[in-house]
Amino acid sequence: MKYRIFITAATLILAAMILTVTVSAQDVSKLKYPDLNKLEIPEVEKITLDNGIRLYLLEDKSLPVFRVSSRINCGDHLEPLDKVGLASICGTVMRTGGTSKWTGDEIDEMLEAIGGSVETSISTLSANARVNVLSDQAELGLEVLSQILRTPVFDEDKIELAKVQERSVISRRNDDPQGIAFREYVKLIYGSESPYARHPEYATINAVERQDLIDFHGSYFKPQNVQMAIWGDFDREELLKLMNTYFGDWKMEGDPVPAPPTVDYKFESGVYYINKPDVNQSNIVLGHVGGLTTDPDYAERIVMNNILGGGFGSRLFNQVRSKEGLAYAVFGVYTSNISYPGVFYNFVSTKSETSVKAIREIIKQIKSMQVDIPTEDEMRIGKDGYLNSFVFNFDTKAEVVNRLMNYDFYGLPDDFLSQEKERVEQVTPEGVLEASKKNLRPDALKILVVGKGEDFEMPLDQAGLGAVTSIDIAIPSGEEKKELAVTEENLAKGAEILGNGITAAGGLDNFKKISSISMKGTLTLTMPQGEIPLQIEEQKVLPDKTRTVINAFGQTMYDISDGTTGWKTNQMTGEVVAKTEEELVEASKEERRNLIKLFQNSDSPDFKAVFAGVGTEGGISVNQVAIIDEAGETICTISFNAQTSELISMSYWGETPMGEGSLVQVYGNFTETAGVKIPLSLTTNMDGKKVMNLSISQYDINAEIPATAFEKP
Amino acid sequence: MKKSLFSFGAILIVCLILSSGPAYGFDFSKLENQVSEHTLENGLKVLVMERHHAPVVSLVTWCNVGSADDPKGYTGLAHMFEHMAFKGSSTLGTKDIDKELELIAIEDSIFMELRTERNKGRMADSVRIAALEKSYEEAREASYELVVPNEFGNVVDREGGVGLNAFTSMDVTAYMYSLPSNKAELWFALESARFKDPVLREMYKERDVVAEERRMRIESNPIGRLIEEFQGLAFKAHPYGVTGVGHMSDINFYSRQEADAFRKKYYVPSNMVVSIVGDVKAKDIFKLAEKYFGEIPYSPPPPRIATVEPEQIGERRMVIEDPSQPFYIVGWHIPEGTHPDRPALDALIDYLASGRTSILYKRLVKEQKAALQVAAFAGYPGDKYPSMLAAYALPTAEHTNQEIEDAIFKAVEELRTELIPDEEVAKIKARAKAQFINQMDSNMGLAMQLATYQTSWGNWRELFRTLDGINAVTAEDIQRVAKQYMTMKNRNVGQIVTEES
Repeated sequence: MKYRIFITAATLILAAMILTVTVSAQDVSKLKYPDLNKLEIPEVEKITLDNGIRLYLLEDKSLPVFRVSSRINCGDHLEPLDKVGLASICGTVMRTGGTSKWTGDEIDEMLEAIGGSVETSISTLSANARVNVLSDQAELGLEVLSQILRTPVFDEDKIELAKVQERSVISRRNDDPQGIAFREYVKLIYGSESPYARHPEYATINAVERQDLIDFHGSYFKPQNVQMAIWGDFDREELLKLMNTYFGDWKMEGDPVPAPPTVDYKFESGVYYINKPDVNQSNIVLGHVGGLTTDPDYAERIVMNNILGGGFGSRLFNQVRSKEGLAYAVFGVYTSNISYPGVFYNFVSTKSETSVKAIREIIKQIKSMQVDIPTEDEMRIGKDGYLNSFVFNFDTKAEVVNRLMNYDFYGLPDDFLSQEKERVEQVTPEGVLEASKKNLRPDALKILVVGKGEDFEMPLDQAGLGAVTSIDIAIPSGEEKKELAVTEENLAKGAEILGNGITAAGGLDNFKKISSISMKGTLTLTMPQGEIPLQIEEQKVLPDKTRTVINAFGQTMYDISDGTTGWKTNQMTGEVVAKTEEELVEASKEERRNLIKLFQNSDSPDFKAVFAGVGTEGGISVNQVAIIDEAGETICTISFNAQTSELISMSYWGETPMGEGSLVQVYGNFTETAGVKIPLSLTTNMDGKKVMNLSISQYDINAEIPATAFEKP
Repeated sequence: MKKSLFSFGAILIVCLILSSGPAYGFDFSKLENQVSEHTLENGLKVLVMERHHAPVVSLVTWCNVGSADDPKGYTGLAHMFEHMAFKGSSTLGTKDIDKELELIAIEDSIFMELRTERNKGRMADSVRIAALEKSYEEAREASYELVVPNEFGNVVDREGGVGLNAFTSMDVTAYMYSLPSNKAELWFALESARFKDPVLREMYKERDVVAEERRMRIESNPIGRLIEEFQGLAFKAHPYGVTGVGHMSDINFYSRQEADAFRKKYYVPSNMVVSIVGDVKAKDIFKLAEKYFGEIPYSPPPPRIATVEPEQIGERRMVIEDPSQPFYIVGWHIPEGTHPDRPALDALIDYLASGRTSILYKRLVKEQKAALQVAAFAGYPGDKYPSMLAAYALPTAEHTNQEIEDAIFKAVEELRTELIPDEEVAKIKARAKAQFINQMDSNMGLAMQLATYQTSWGNWRELFRTLDGINAVTAEDIQRVAKQYMTMKNRNVGQIVTEES
C-alpha cells in the first residue's frame, strides 16, 4: 500500500513535470531566475612613469597572450586643410616605414614569424597603437612599439605606398552607396572642412611630403601625451622593467597639444539629393546635430534611443521594417560624444519606389517621440534592456582597461559608467518624453537621399519636404594646375628639383658635352582610323640646326631649320618650299622645349625654373617644375619622380596631327649613352588620350653631321 | 576552472619555448576537457563549455541546413525561414492566436490565388490581379492587427540579451545571442519554441524586407552584382551556384506553407546542435535541454545533396562592365572542408595572401603598388560540399585587373613548380598557433566554433585538432595541392571593369 502511494505520487510528480515541459514562450515573463553570480569588476592599476607615460595594467593569466593598446593625444584635427590625410598617412607609415633599428619590412617579418601584430593609426582625436603577441614575446612586442612610437624614419617608398592606397580609397569611395550617405551627411552637420567630417582629396594627399610626417610625429609623439592600457599574461615587475628599458629615456618635452575645435551648429531644415544611377535602393539619412555624454539628460537619451530606433522592438524597426516592409536596414540614434556633439542619425535603405514613403514614416516616428509617452513595454525594452545587459560592459578585460584609459584622458571618474547606470535606473517615461521634446527637432531635419531619383515614387522636390539641393560627388581630379607662384622660394625649389633631375639623368657636365644628335625610329600616330606607323630620322646640331625626314607611304617629307631659314615639304604638292615666318616662329618655340638644350642652359643666370606643385602620374608621385621665359610665360612643365628624381614627363601647349591642345609627353625606356640617360620612348597624350608615340631604334650623340644636311634638299 | 585554465596557460608557455623548432606537440586537453556534451534521445546534440570569468553566457543553435538546400524554384527559402524564426510562436507575439490563425489562413488562400494568376505571365488577367492584390493587402493588414510586433526580440532585449542575430550560409543556418548567465532558461524557452512551435506571422511583409536585403547586398552593390554572377559561373550543377538570398522572383513567390514545410524537413533535433559557453554548469544546462527540447520526437536527419559538381573541363571567365572601380576574383575548385587536402590548402592560402609577408601582398601591394587589398580563402561559397579556393584583389587607381591576374598566376605557377622554403612552412605553423590561441578569448567565438566543428565533422573535438592538421603539412604537400587543384582548366575568373561613362 505504502508503495502504491509512493508510485502514485511519483506518477503525479512525473505528470507535473511533463506539464512543465510544455512551458511555453508565453510564460517566459514568469520564469524565475537564480541570482546572477557576482560581477567582479577587475581592478586596474594606474601608474604614471617619470616621463609622463600613463599605464593602466590588468593582469589576466587565462590565456598566454600579451596586449597593449596605446592612446596618443593627437589626431587628424591637427593637420592643415590643404593636407587632409597627412595624419592618416603618418599613422600608417610610422608602422610600415621602418624605425632607426629595423626597416618596416623587417618588422613585418619578425612579427609574422611569431603570429604577432603591432599596428598604428591616427584618427580624428587620437593616435592608437595596438600590440598583440603571445606572452613569451612580450619584450619583442614592447620593443617594436617603442621603436615605432619613438623613432619612425618614414621611408619614402612606404610613404608612396600609403599615398597610392589613400588615392585608391578616394577613387573607390563612390562605389558604396551607404558609404556615400554617411560621408556626405556628417559634412552637412559639421561642415565639409570640419575635422569631424572632412575627408582627403587627391590634391590633399599629393601635397603631403615626408617632412610633414616627420614634423607631425615630432610635435605630438611625446611621452606626456602617451597612455598605455596593458592586459594579459604578464608579471608586473618584469613589465615595469621592460617599460623602463624601452621607454625610460624618452624625454618629456614640447608644447601642449591644441584642443580639437568646437562645433557651431545652426538648426535648419534642408533636403539634399545625390544622384546614383546604378542602384535600385535609396540610402537615406535624416537628422541633425546630437549631444554630449556629459549632458544632464544623457541617461534619458539612452532610453529614448532604444525606444526610437535602437533595435528589435523600437518604433522605427516596428513601423518601417516589420509593419511596412520598407527596409531591411533601418535605425535611429541620437549619438553623444565626450568632447564634441554627436549626430542624431536616422537611417533607412529602401527601394527607389518607396523613398518618399520611408522618409515620411521616419519623420512620423521622430514626431511620435515628442507626443506619445513611452508605454510600459517600451520602457522595459529601453530601460530594463540597458540595465540587464550592463554586465556585458565588463565581460572582457580589453573593454574594462581601454574604457578606463579613455575616461582618464577626459578626466571622467573611473566609475562614470556605474554612475550612468544609476541615472538610467531613475529614468521615467515622462523624463524620456521631456528629453525627446528638448533634443529632437523634427521641424529642422536635414534629409539626405542617395539614389536614383527618376525611379522615386514622386520627384523629391514635390514631396512637400522643402526645396532640394543637389550635391555633386564627382571626385575632383588632383591634377588641376594651380596658379604658378613665381616666388623666391619656388624658384629655389624649382632649381633644386631640376638640378636633381639633371643629376639623376647623368649630370650637367655630360649634357654640356653634347653638340649633336642623330636618331632613327618609328613615329606612330594614333588616329581615329587606327595606328599609322611612320619612319623618322632626325639630325640635330646644337643649338639651332635640325633636319627631320619622315617617310610616309613611300613619300619623303622634309622639315629643316638652320637657325635663320628653313624648308619643308608641302604636303599637297610634294614640293620642298621655304618656311613661312609663322612656321619659323613655331619651330623656334618647339626648339625652346628641347630637353637637352633646357638642361644645358639650366645654369645660365636668366634661366627660370619654378616649382609648380606635386602630382601623380602613372601612379607615381611627382614634383613639377615650370620653365618660364623672360616674359614669365610658361614654356613647358617638367615632372620628376618625387623619390628618385627620374624624368617622368613634360607638359606643354602644342600642336599634333590631331590638332592643338594641352599635351603631355611621357618618357620611357631610358638608355644610357655618353653618360646621359635618354628616353627611347616618347608618348604624347592630348587631354589624357594617346595621340602619338616615338620609338627610337638608333640614337647617337656627337656623331659627325655634314653641314649640307641643313641645306635645301 | 580558473586554476586549470591558468595551468593550461603555463603548459602552453612551456610548449612555446620548447617549440621553437617544429611548432608541434600542443596539449590542448585541458581546454578540451572544459567542454561537456550530451545527446538527447531525439538526437539533439548539446555542447557546454564552462568559463566562469564573468557572469555571462553565449548561446547558439546551428541547424545543418543552408541555402544550398533551397529547393529548385525556391531559392532563398532557407534564409527566408531564418527571418521567420524571429516572429514568435503560438504564444509569443500574438494578441489572440485562434483568431490570428484564421486570418492567416485567409491571407494564405488569397495569396495562393494571386500567385497562380500572376504566374500565368502574359496570359494573366490584370483586372483579377488588381482585385486580388487589394484583398491580399487587406488580409495582410487584418492579420497584422493581432500581432504583437517583434515580441521575440523585445523579450531578449529587455532581459539583457545582446548580439541577437542569425545568419544563413550555404551550409548552415545559425542563431545566436548572449545573456546574463542566470537567464539560460529563458534562452531554452525561446529557442525551443521558435523551432518547434513557430507561427510564421507577417510572412508576406517579411518577404519585402528580404527583397530590400537583396537590393542592398546584391543589386545596389557592385561587388554583390559580380559575386552573384561569379558563383553562377563556377557552379553549373551544384546549388552553390546561386547566392543565398535567392532570386527576386523566387522571393516574391514562396508561400508560408512552403516555408513551414522546409522547417519541418530540416529543423529536426537530429539535424541541430546547441552550443553554450560561459558562466553556467553543464549539468544544469543538460537538464534544461531535456526539459525544453526533450519532447520533440526523433526524426531522421534530412538527406545531403546528391548533386556533385562535374569536373570543370576548361577555364571560365566573365566580365561585368560597371560604373564602379575594377575588381578581380579567381577561384579554383577544391574539395569539401573535411577533405585531408584542406590543411595543405589552408597553409597555401596563408603563404599566398595572409598578412604583409605573404607573396601576393609583398608583390602586388608593397612592390608594384598595384593592389589596395589582396586576399585568399578556401571554402567559398561553402564548406560542406566541394567548393573553391578563391583569391581577389582591388587594383589601385591607375592599375589594372591584368596586373593583378599576372601576379596571381605567376605566384601560383611558382607554387606549382617550386617548393616553398622550410622556414616559411614553420612561419605558417607559428601563425596558425597564435591565431588559434587568440580565438579562445571570446565566449561567443568559442560557442560558434564548437557548433561549426560539431556540424561539419560530427565531432566538436576536431576543433582542437586543427593545429595537428596544419602542423603535419610539408612543403611537398603544398606543392602537390597547388599542382592538383590550381590548374588553368579548373579556374574561374570574374572581373569588374570600369565602364566608360
